[in-house]
Amino acid sequence: MSSLSISGPTPTDTTDIGPRLRVEQATYAYSATDRSAPAFTLGPISFEAGRHDLLAVLGPNASGKSTLLRLLAGVTKPLSGRVEIDGAEITSLELKTRAQKVALVQQESTLLFPLRVWEYVLQGRYPYGRRLRFESQEDCVLATNALAQVGAASFRDYWMEELSGGQKQRVILARALAQQPALLLLDEPTQHLDIGGKIELLRRLRRLADENRHTVLVVTHELDLAADFADRIILLHKGKCLRIGTPAEVYDRGVLEEVFEVPLEIELRANGRPRVSLRSDG
Amino acid sequence: MKPLTPRRVLVICGLLLALLFAAVVISLRMGAYPITIPEIVTTLFNRFAGRSDQIPSEFLLVVFGLRLPRIALGIIVGAALSTAGAGFQALLRNPLADPYVLGVSSGAALGAIMSLIFTPHVAGAIQIASFVGAGVTISIVFLLGRRGGQLDAATLLLAGIITTSFLSAVIMFLMTMLSGRDLRGIAFWVMGDLQTPPVIGLKWLFFVLVIAAGCIYTTTSDLNLILTGEQEAHHLGVNVRRVKLVVYVASSILTGLAVSVSGAIGYVGLLVPHVMRMLFGTDYRLLVPTSAIGGAILIVVADTLARTVLGTTEIPVGAMTALAGAPVFIYLMRRRVR
Amino acid sequence: MRKWLILLVLATVGATCARTASAMPFAQTPAEPGRAVTDETGRHMTVPMNVRRIVSLAPNLTEIVYDLGAGDLLVGDTDFCDTPAAARSKPHVGNPQKPSLEAIVALHPDLVLATASINAPETADTLLKLGIAVYTTYPHTVRQMLDSISEIGALIGANEQGDSLKASLRARLDALQTKLADRPLAHVLFLVWATPPMSVGPNTFIADALRWAGAESVLVTHQDWPTPTFEELLRIQPDYIVLTTDHEGDTSGAAQLRADPDWKGLMAVQSNRIVTVNDRFDRPSPGLVDAIEQLAHDLHPEAFLPAVNQ
Repeated sequence: MSSLSISGPTPTDTTDIGPRLRVEQATYAYSATDRSAPAFTLGPISFEAGRHDLLAVLGPNASGKSTLLRLLAGVTKPLSGRVEIDGAEITSLELKTRAQKVALVQQESTLLFPLRVWEYVLQGRYPYGRRLRFESQEDCVLATNALAQVGAASFRDYWMEELSGGQKQRVILARALAQQPALLLLDEPTQHLDIGGKIELLRRLRRLADENRHTVLVVTHELDLAADFADRIILLHKGKCLRIGTPAEVYDRGVLEEVFEVPLEIELRANGRPRVSLRSDG
Repeated sequence: MKPLTPRRVLVICGLLLALLFAAVVISLRMGAYPITIPEIVTTLFNRFAGRSDQIPSEFLLVVFGLRLPRIALGIIVGAALSTAGAGFQALLRNPLADPYVLGVSSGAALGAIMSLIFTPHVAGAIQIASFVGAGVTISIVFLLGRRGGQLDAATLLLAGIITTSFLSAVIMFLMTMLSGRDLRGIAFWVMGDLQTPPVIGLKWLFFVLVIAAGCIYTTTSDLNLILTGEQEAHHLGVNVRRVKLVVYVASSILTGLAVSVSGAIGYVGLLVPHVMRMLFGTDYRLLVPTSAIGGAILIVVADTLARTVLGTTEIPVGAMTALAGAPVFIYLMRRRVR
Repeated sequence: MRKWLILLVLATVGATCARTASAMPFAQTPAEPGRAVTDETGRHMTVPMNVRRIVSLAPNLTEIVYDLGAGDLLVGDTDFCDTPAAARSKPHVGNPQKPSLEAIVALHPDLVLATASINAPETADTLLKLGIAVYTTYPHTVRQMLDSISEIGALIGANEQGDSLKASLRARLDALQTKLADRPLAHVLFLVWATPPMSVGPNTFIADALRWAGAESVLVTHQDWPTPTFEELLRIQPDYIVLTTDHEGDTSGAAQLRADPDWKGLMAVQSNRIVTVNDRFDRPSPGLVDAIEQLAHDLHPEAFLPAVNQ
């Protein structure tokens, strides 16, 4: 039974212990054509994530971040290995069950018809009903709470197309939250935000992980933000998982310079989190 | 926050049905044969109550033999075309799509011409042949319109356009081979005609309408999500592939059926969903039923005008919908949606 | 659950309405005694013995009714029925291709006359379903037309007039045939339409009428309405070109043809062997025989000179 408190919809828990997300030796490959050799291979990757965890996936372009995200979202089945959510293999779940466990936040495609913010967020309740459904009272409450959680309650009657980039980002997040997912996946959510927006978003994600027991995984380019907010970092390079660990563990100068091909300098701050900057003599 | 409730759907549909009923009664009143509304009501009541022998035989003739079958066919065809239009607009992600854009009407026309060439005087052959033609076209466009294993809006549209052009060329070719007089039969195709009763009977036609439209209705929650974005819908748990298939098949069958029994009546499938969207919003759970009833109302009104405006000369109903439809369309285009 | 209930209710309501609206088997008014008749398209019907009200759906049928002396029985005809002049003032039921069924019913006809060459079969089918007798003629040849005339005469109680009209028309045709017996058939190009040229095939009614007038269409084709190219016409070089006047009797067609550069290559045009016939040539009615005789005179003037006294 989900809680209806103002603090927001919590993930529908089916297990109380153990990791929520478990990736075990997952690999994936695809070729330019059917018969040629694989043009790109990802993996093998293994890691686990539990409640309250916020993970960041880092890596240059074409390092496999989107592929990994698709594996985690259950959209693609790994060539070998497993991706499990709450103990069940993700691709074996029914579509709606999967949607109840995993929510994906991406850049929104252009809307065909005008839609109000609350209508958009209400769509997140789709996995919780029959095929042809009309939203219930509970759905409305949960959607309202989701909007409150992202600080978008004040513009819930606006049209989607009226929103600014940052506001839209929040609304998309609210819809994902309305799904009451165990795992929240975000694909480069800070792309169109200014520095204030970026920090606000990461703070919010941190809060969601801490207070609402979501497992959050963010694919991002932002080295510093990831270092400041993530519990663990997954560093990808050309399809290989180079490192998984705390920011301090992963941000090794040699490794980062090799991956990003830029002269860098790592500074460890007082709170144990590293800061990356351009090397002054570079 | 006020989401759509079943009650709101029923209330609005109830109002529209009342409007439809009024249109039907008025339509029954109009025609070359003089008959008043009280007479119509009495006649309807007697027939319904099984007291047909109390009705003057000529009223029986005019009301039940001529007007009512035509109105009933118009209702079914109007509802079918509008529902199909709404379905295709979602499937093709284009609010300006009409049910004929995927070539169904060209295929049906080809079937009709073939029947005129090979079986010119067989009763009902035209309808059956045109439905077969429609069915073949639907299958071909389906096979051509897939991409990555599922129906894709842009690919479908291309497939439809190519098929339509090809079929039109074949039709042109065949028409030059046909004798001049025999082409009379094809004229009703181009313009639409509600006078010929359906070969399979009104009951079966209505049955297929309910089934196909019902199938589309069960996907309306999914369609609402798909319209926000196919990827997003998939991530929310919608079986996008299956929904698109169901909508394609059901909408195509509705179109094929409508065109086989009444020729290609234009503008209905395009305009009615558009107007309903403007009036009642884009939620498909409301749009589908209102489009169906709205389409029925439009055809009943258009057909009534078509058969009474010029006295004994009848304008094809397709010409009527075009005459009325074009200005409305222009008005809609100039007015921003919301 | 509620949704299925609603759907069920709707379906029931709809099906009941559909049942109400579906075609009933309409019985014809049993009061009148009638006879079983099969028309020229094979349709079966019962025609009242005493036909008092006739509706005609084609101009040639209107003409036939008047020529049978039954003009008073005609209660309705089409917008295009103009011969004789009295026909124009009868109540109209629309055009022959799509007459107003209601207007026909409103006239309470005992018999409706139709022809397969102009009227749509659906019209006759629907009227028959409503219990109204519709006799459809289907004339392929001039002889069949004569038979139709006497058939219609028999139907409407004008047997004598029908038989005598048929006999007199037959006599005229036979006389014509005798006169033309020794003459070779003129090779003509009968133009239904001039731009682009459209002619007639050998199985059409017009082709048969041409034969009676001592002419034959030059085109060898299986189509009923062939559209020959100019090259073909130049190769064939018909002896005569036959045009019809248009509806208002406008005879300028011949002059237009002569002025047209495309047509100048034909010898028939150069030597002005262009004959214009009354547009009644295409109408299967008694007036057709006039037109045939006229054409025969124009094509074979020598056959009609008074016999030289020995």
